[in-house]
Amino acid sequence: MQDRILIVEDDLETAATVRAVIEELGCEADHCDTLEAGVTAAFTQPYKVIVLDRMLPGGDGVEAMARIRAGGSTALILILSALGRAANRVEGLEKGADDYLPKPFEGDELRARLRALLRRGTMQVLDNDLLAFGDLEIRLKARTVHVRRAHVAVSPKEFELLTYFAQNAGQVVTRMQLLERVWNLHFDPGTNVVDVHVGRLRRKLEEAGSQAIQTARGEGYIFAPLQALG
Amino acid sequence: MAARATLRLAAIMALAVSLLSLGAMVLQYRLVEDRLMAAQTKLLSADLDGFAALYDQRRIIALRQAIDYRATAATGGEMLLLLDRNGTVLAGTQPAWPEGLATEGEGFSVAPAREFHSGDTRWLAVARELPGGFSLLVARSLQPVDDTLAAMRRGMWGLLAALLVAGGLVGWLAARSVMARIGRVNDLADRVAEGALDARLPGTRSPDEFGLLETHVHAMLDRIQNLNRATHRLSDTIAHELRTPLNRMLQKLGRIEGQEALTADLRAEMRQAIRMFDALLDISRAEADQGTGGGLVPVDLSTVATEVWELYEPLAEDKGLLCTARVAPGLSVLGDRTLIAQMLANLLDNAIKYCAAGDRLTLTLVEEGDRHLMRVADTGPGLPEDMRGEAFERFVRAERDRGIKGHGLGLALVRAIAARHGARLVLPNGARGFVLEIHWPRLQQSG
Repeated sequence: MQDRILIVEDDLETAATVRAVIEELGCEADHCDTLEAGVTAAFTQPYKVIVLDRMLPGGDGVEAMARIRAGGSTALILILSALGRAANRVEGLEKGADDYLPKPFEGDELRARLRALLRRGTMQVLDNDLLAFGDLEIRLKARTVHVRRAHVAVSPKEFELLTYFAQNAGQVVTRMQLLERVWNLHFDPGTNVVDVHVGRLRRKLEEAGSQAIQTARGEGYIFAPLQALG
Repeated sequence: MAARATLRLAAIMALAVSLLSLGAMVLQYRLVEDRLMAAQTKLLSADLDGFAALYDQRRIIALRQAIDYRATAATGGEMLLLLDRNGTVLAGTQPAWPEGLATEGEGFSVAPAREFHSGDTRWLAVARELPGGFSLLVARSLQPVDDTLAAMRRGMWGLLAALLVAGGLVGWLAARSVMARIGRVNDLADRVAEGALDARLPGTRSPDEFGLLETHVHAMLDRIQNLNRATHRLSDTIAHELRTPLNRMLQKLGRIEGQEALTADLRAEMRQAIRMFDALLDISRAEADQGTGGGLVPVDLSTVATEVWELYEPLAEDKGLLCTARVAPGLSVLGDRTLIAQMLANLLDNAIKYCAAGDRLTLTLVEEGDRHLMRVADTGPGLPEDMRGEAFERFVRAERDRGIKGHGLGLALVRAIAARHGARLVLPNGARGFVLEIHWPRLQQSG
């Protein structure tokens, strides 16, 4: 069965873009253009994800999250809003949103985030502390990385970075996602500071013989350790 | 704080009332004194009239008999004395003529009379020389007059003291009650200044000037609160109205094919515009929330500083800067983690932007007295001398930096965030490069 995603958005053009991204991901999209309709719709279907706007006719999406959750919906909520300052973003996440993407947004960014959310719903619980991707091994408890059985020295931040990549293996991860998830920073620093960190980690892995981290043309990075690379 | 103004007013009132009363009492005192003296003079005059009548009948003999008679029934309230030409006492209440008292004039009229002291007593005396060298003294004691006046004076002092005490007491009570009424309004103003814009005085307004003051203050606060709400709503509305069309533009950009370089440029421009716009809103929000503790939580400043430093350090190293960080662990402030991170990111980003390879970049965080001192220092070009005063204003950029990307809001945001946290910014004089000290108020540890 296809995953269903609910869009609650009053700007039709934005809604159309979101719908296009959702359909690209192979999911089905429903659309509501008021908050009340959205909250009601949330209970009619077992939605995987709800893409929720904030300044909607009928109120603020962030304030409606509690009602949606209280009504029994298990959907993950992605806030997609013009209230995009760091303070707004932190507020939304603190009030229980699973992700927060400010407008204007890139289709690629939304795709990466929706994928991460869809995946989060299906991710199996790892009870062992070993993440193995071919000849790349990550030990979570010991916080060590090995490539071809050789130890790779990484800084604590680089380890977190690699772990986040590994959890989203095979999918594009954007710079903004990395800054939010690995550094817990919710503002645009202007310069692409993240690139330097990814570059360093990538060089360390490459020196050890792993091509696991690749650039995904302009969008971000992809962790694809098992791909045959030429 | 004492109600100095009220106390002063009460003191002036008490003093004025006391002075007026004193004036009235002095007037009355004089009046009583005059009346009493007049009464004594009248009595003396009556005595003299009596003696004059006796003298008219039988001369000295009659006088002598009358004085003898009066002396035996002496009350102490009068002094009578008759001497012959040799100074021998013929009759009298006294054994001798009072010293220093000379006879003046003849006859039995009451004027001229004079006062003299004998022992503790004051006397009103008429001393006459009668034909044949006889000396006659008729005097009345002024003791009753003096007693009455002394009693009056005691009364006056007592009353004055009572008036002053009463004035002081009334002043103190008034000051206390005024202070209590004003204190309510002051407390309210303090709470509002600390950010509780919805604070109001409980209870009903009393129908007096204080009630009126409270009503006016409430009206003012309602207006401020409405304006503040409108400002917050406005910034949300601006965000919505600006970002929605930008969003449509960005979606349409995505559909343009074959001009990657141009669209990438446009994307970067849009991102830059949004950053500037967010910075403006962040600045006004931080300024609006300035001084309010609302929304601030204990934040480990050391951790945030280290995190942001570690985020930027590789970038700085790649540019060839020599980086050193010395961050004392466990220093906390009451703050907003995101804002503090934004502030530091702005400062480090600036340093990296303006410094060249070989320059030094240092971050220090130490405890200094009751403050945490954060110091970001580089050995780059620093601020131009003529810009030091206004470097923290919005959109102020040095002429020489036109070629470097930026919107001139970085330091303005730094200042607004510092103010939001009650932190003080210091640009030390004579420093080489750009050096900024941020003095954070220490988090008061409870328990």
